[in-house]
Amino acid sequence: MSLYVLEGLRPWVIQRVSAVYIVVFILYAVFCFYSADTIAYESWKNWLYNPFNTTVVGIFVIALLFHAWIGMRDVVLDYVHNIMLRIFILAMLLGALIGSGLWVFRILLLSAVG
Amino acid sequence: MKFKIYRYNPEQDAKPYVQSYELENVDPGAMLLTALLRIKDEQDETLSFRRSCGEGVCGSDGMNINGVNGLACITSVASLKQPIQIKPLPGLPVIRDLIIDMDQFYKQYRAVKPYLIVNDPMPEVELSQTPEQRENLDGLYECVLCACCSTSCPSFWWNPDKFLGPAALLQASRFIEDSRDQAVEKRLEDLEGPFKLFRCHTIMNCVNVCPKGLNPTKAIGRIKHKMVTRSL
Repeated sequence: MSLYVLEGLRPWVIQRVSAVYIVVFILYAVFCFYSADTIAYESWKNWLYNPFNTTVVGIFVIALLFHAWIGMRDVVLDYVHNIMLRIFILAMLLGALIGSGLWVFRILLLSAVG
Repeated sequence: MKFKIYRYNPEQDAKPYVQSYELENVDPGAMLLTALLRIKDEQDETLSFRRSCGEGVCGSDGMNINGVNGLACITSVASLKQPIQIKPLPGLPVIRDLIIDMDQFYKQYRAVKPYLIVNDPMPEVELSQTPEQRENLDGLYECVLCACCSTSCPSFWWNPDKFLGPAALLQASRFIEDSRDQAVEKRLEDLEGPFKLFRCHTIMNCVNVCPKGLNPTKAIGRIKHKMVTRSL
């Protein structure tokens, strides 16, 4: 795999598709938030325990991670011209995003277990 | 009429500076190039700039006029706020005064192979097109390569050696859309990767400044559309 993970067309398409999904998910999440009986940790946990919600949140996290990676990668490719610094920033970014993703999936997994 | 013009002669000047000029009795209908030629003839023959046809066809007098790229020969002085500030096109090295080194620009232009590629034996008469096929090239073939678009593009400033820039991509689209061209697949393949095409962030400065009223952003969109269709 090249240094610029995903290259040209693919990230461009992923960025747009993920943007649409993120918007749709946010609308759904806001709707659920306002239509909830109570706003508390337990009700959030129950909401997340629903397999449909676990799935859409899981897909949202993946979409968000890809979207963030492509957006930040573009900023780095535009502005950072020193190749070693570019590799360093991209590696840090990739590490931070993968770490955040794993953390979220741990939460989802624990909530799915109950 | 007052002018402030960027001056730089690398053989004499340590750094660039701005020189003021004043012209009397300028015809309000005159174009900026006429005023510049008058300054050169009447006040300062060392002032250097490119020009040729004088009517927006050759594209050689591209410059930054009051902060906006354009052709001096088709920019009316009456439309400009005074003092008229003139600088070379941004983003490329200055050779002298308003003359820039366009090597990088032409290198990117050559990279898109701006000519028909036909593998079949050439017909005896001509490669014909239907009127609709020919119409498909409208808005793509009229480019005069003045570089106003590419030098107004921030993505081109940031990566002039890697991002092809709006002018070259407009030309790429012109041949990708041509019904007679037989290398469309290869052309699309060559534009893949994170830099050549996909540094375009649809900023649309190119559309704002094109003196021929062309839309390179739309042309770039057409290439992306072709790439997506091809990959499905």
